[in-house]
Amino acid sequence: MANYFLTILTFSPLLGVLLLAFVPKSLPGTIKALGTLATLVPLVLALMLYANFNSAAEGLQLVQQWNWINIPVGDQAIPINFEVGIDGLSMPLLVLTTVIATISALAALTVNKRWKEFYILFLIVEMGMLGVFTSANLFQFFIFFEFTIIPMFFMMGIWGYKDREKASMKFLLYNGVGSAIMLIVFVALFILMGTLNMEEIKQLLTSPMSPRNVPDMQGFIPESLRLGLFLALLAAFAIKIPIVPFHTWMLKAYQEAHPAVIMISSGVLIKIGGYALIRMNAAFFPEWMEQLSTLIAVLGVINILYGAVLALVQDELKLMLAYSSVSHMGIVLLGLAAMNAEGFQGAIFQMVSHGLIAALMFYIVALIHERTGTSNIRELGGLAKSMPIISGILLTAMMASAGLPGMSGFISEFMSFVGLFGTKPIIAAIGALGIILTAVYLLRATLGATFGPIQQKHESLSDAQAIEVVPMVVLLSLVILIGIYPAVLSEPLQTTLQNIVPRIGG
Amino acid sequence: MEMIANAWLVPFFPLLAFVLLVAFGRQLKESAAYVGILATAASFVVALLIFFERFGDGAKDYINTSFHWITFAGQKITMGFEVNQLNAMMLVIVTLVSMLVNIYSRGYMQGDERFPVFYQYLALFTFSMLGVVLSPNILQLYIFWELVGVCSFLLVGFYFYKPEAKAAAKKAFIVTRIGDVGLFIGLTLTFWWMGSFNYSDIFDKIQTGAVEEWKITLIGILVFIGAVGKSGQFPLHTWLPDAMEGPTPVSALIHAATMVAAGVYLVARMYDLYLASPIATEVIAYVGGFTAIFAASIGLTQRDIKRVLAYSTVSQLGYMMLALGAASAAGYVAGTFHLMTHAFFKALLFLAAGSVIHAVHTQDIFEMGGLWKKMRITGLVFLVGCLAIAGVPPFAGFWSKEEILVATLTSGHVDLFIIALIAASFTAFYMFRLFFLTFSGQARGGADAHESPGVMTMPMLVLAVLAVVAGFINTPWKPALGEWLTNGFTMFNAGEHGAEHAAPIWVTLLAVGVSVAGIALAWYMYGKGTIPKGEGGVFYRLSFRKYYIDELYNAVFVRPLRAFGKGMYVFDVWVVDGLVRLVAALTRGIGGVGARVQNGQIQTYGAIAFIGLVLLLAGLTIAGGYVEQWRTIFLQS
Repeated sequence: MANYFLTILTFSPLLGVLLLAFVPKSLPGTIKALGTLATLVPLVLALMLYANFNSAAEGLQLVQQWNWINIPVGDQAIPINFEVGIDGLSMPLLVLTTVIATISALAALTVNKRWKEFYILFLIVEMGMLGVFTSANLFQFFIFFEFTIIPMFFMMGIWGYKDREKASMKFLLYNGVGSAIMLIVFVALFILMGTLNMEEIKQLLTSPMSPRNVPDMQGFIPESLRLGLFLALLAAFAIKIPIVPFHTWMLKAYQEAHPAVIMISSGVLIKIGGYALIRMNAAFFPEWMEQLSTLIAVLGVINILYGAVLALVQDELKLMLAYSSVSHMGIVLLGLAAMNAEGFQGAIFQMVSHGLIAALMFYIVALIHERTGTSNIRELGGLAKSMPIISGILLTAMMASAGLPGMSGFISEFMSFVGLFGTKPIIAAIGALGIILTAVYLLRATLGATFGPIQQKHESLSDAQAIEVVPMVVLLSLVILIGIYPAVLSEPLQTTLQNIVPRIGG
Repeated sequence: MEMIANAWLVPFFPLLAFVLLVAFGRQLKESAAYVGILATAASFVVALLIFFERFGDGAKDYINTSFHWITFAGQKITMGFEVNQLNAMMLVIVTLVSMLVNIYSRGYMQGDERFPVFYQYLALFTFSMLGVVLSPNILQLYIFWELVGVCSFLLVGFYFYKPEAKAAAKKAFIVTRIGDVGLFIGLTLTFWWMGSFNYSDIFDKIQTGAVEEWKITLIGILVFIGAVGKSGQFPLHTWLPDAMEGPTPVSALIHAATMVAAGVYLVARMYDLYLASPIATEVIAYVGGFTAIFAASIGLTQRDIKRVLAYSTVSQLGYMMLALGAASAAGYVAGTFHLMTHAFFKALLFLAAGSVIHAVHTQDIFEMGGLWKKMRITGLVFLVGCLAIAGVPPFAGFWSKEEILVATLTSGHVDLFIIALIAASFTAFYMFRLFFLTFSGQARGGADAHESPGVMTMPMLVLAVLAVVAGFINTPWKPALGEWLTNGFTMFNAGEHGAEHAAPIWVTLLAVGVSVAGIALAWYMYGKGTIPKGEGGVFYRLSFRKYYIDELYNAVFVRPLRAFGKGMYVFDVWVVDGLVRLVAALTRGIGGVGARVQNGQIQTYGAIAFIGLVLLLAGLTIAGGYVEQWRTIFLQS
């Protein structure tokens, strides 16, 4: 049973898809209820996974492997396996995925048409995300990755606001380019390595015994080729994270897509970029990661400051959040660029933390938009009077996003910076300016919406209802839990970190 | 029961009150006050018990770091609490002032729509502040440090619908945040250079001499930047006067007696580190000295009763920093001693000011006057507060201020000594200007003022008594506080307790002399009115407009940043995204693919994914033979 666990978890959202297929289109209530309840299955499984995770185990655990496809070559067959496994890096992201999925499903209750398609696509995306984090080989990773992009494209294009089709095209074009680059690298790696298994590739590329690393041996991979592969991977994931200047797909999407879709995208999808940087760039090419760490640190600082400066002048809250995501993902890059255990731990924390906080912030903005018909701070103000609960939670979420101690944002930011100060203090000091700017733009936006005099037409708006409070409280509780007791996240990470870090020379 | 080992109880009660008030605040309405009062009273009792236990024989510093907080790259970081002389004193100050403010607010905030919310915030603040002083390591301190900042922000912005309150809250948060980044960086460097966040480990490491002095200095200055932000020192002082937008009891508790002293506390707690860095202490002394006279000179001309007090707070905090900058046992004792006396008389002054505002509904002292007869108790306690802060013997401020002067003089800073003296005369002048304008002469406002209720006067009376007697705890002939505070302090030479250099009589005479001169001038200008006020001159305007610092920051930082942001946004939309659009348009133009992709056919979209799959499989097939060859090679090796 245990061996099947990850496979079952990965495909568990399909149970909902199956059931939804039998529900007539004309019953939106049933579809919504079923679609939301279906996300509880992976959530429960993921929590079981967390509870039973073996923090001391080296390498992947709960591994399952079977022969999937055989490619005939001459008289032999090259097997492509279906193989799953997790470690301390993927486990937290799996839990994050299922939490965000359930919360987003609740946020999707406001979807106003074609409910059946929406929830089916939604659950397929969830499967894709889970598959990405459980995949032990590149082929599978790629397939699941595509399973997140294509349905996302439809969800962005069909549901949402006026200009949604343009937004979805942009999303697809960008991510398509990213996928194409990724695919080329994967094929190249397969040709060079003869395997798609990530662990084997890592061993082949890093073990001193491997012929790939001994000059003059047949199959030796020269440094220039390694660098090319490293940069290609970096470019592919730069779109996902996104690294400035590949971020503009986010802006339209954030403005036009349905909030539930953005919660998924900002909460989980963009984290795949960071995850892959650790899983592939750092694991396969540790020496290039080390040599180019200054570049990554600089890119991170640019992300932080660029995102923050632009967030500072946005009147549209959704755009502010888009730029804020750019800025916060810069901290992930900083942590990785530190090339030590502190920084990596910070980067992983930041991915989880930002996933929770971004989803929460976007949910709140959606609630405000629903009530007032706008999310532009010039047309808002004083909402704390008519909606004290929503405003209070927005203020708290803002504090979390600004890295306030006691909430998850702080410890993530802190560890990333501690890491970077250990190796690149000057760049870190420049990046630390972002901490001030973050407070400035977040305060400007949230106080602009909730403080000051209230507009007359907003005076009698209703505050959050119970069903809307639940998602906010769940997310906030997790943010505070990690903030107050970060050991819940740090303990499962340690063994994996010890595995990654010696290799990268930290 | 050993209370020291249970010191966690002190912050626990306010935390409990906070949780209760969040849960049941709406139902409790104004009874919420009793939750807050009871909780802080309980904390105060425990704090007192701890304080007295510290006098027991062989009371060692108590440290409990049993809570495993996080594993940090393989290193376990723990949290807990510590009790030593310094923070035992702080616990008493914080819980006492907090309790009195909780009582006072019952009257002051009566009728406010968000009454329970106010008590929520107060409880959370008290909890956080106690957390700051109990922290056994600098990381935990930082956590609570930021929390008190948030509470301060919430309370400054309590009247959130007022644009001024909104702006002030924002400013308070951002300006202190600038300082906090200094502390933040200091923390990370501490981790790398000292190998730990624990005070004791840091000091041990320094004592072994294993850390280069420049590193100690750098950490010291970065930590001090955090203190500059929190304690309103120049150049990050601008938020504190604006913070007066908050309800007045909050100004008393947070922006006068406790939170703003956190910076002073931090420097005192890290004194072992500062003693190892003459440069850092020099910086502290000069920043403190400059702030003392700078803020005092602004206080001379302000018209808002709370703003005068705010600038006096900035100035007095500067005195404390100046004392600590002396880098000696005398400076350490004088700084913390002044922290204590100031907490009492400044909380008193604010509460009394609140009582005045409560009665006349204005904060402009030129619209007050003649309140002495109408508000006997408030007037009397206000006078006590003024005498204490002006340094008139035997009131509390006299003793602590004199020690600061002596410590500064013996540390060899004659320049700073003179500055401190001038600032002292300013202080006496503006405090009595305030007093005479408010209480003497004829009523200039229309409001029919009357004395505040007992629930407000009682806390003021308690503080007034303390403002009279607190100074006797540490007199030149019986330096009880100094001996106690320096007991067990390893960095000072044995037996040094801050009173080795008894004040030369001329220092005492000079200090009292400048104070009396200031008071006399205020009397002739604003009481009797025989000396013209001299308003309108260049210096008057400079002082009244606070040296245009806010305008300067606006012109140099705020506006350019916004303009830069707007410019960058144009760049982002037209250049970064424009290039992308250009590439997309070109592709569309060349291949016509884009047009077909955009016509909404599901098959087309599916094809995109499918092509990818085909490409991958094709690659695998082509590569197959090659792979096999390599696999064999690898297996052989």
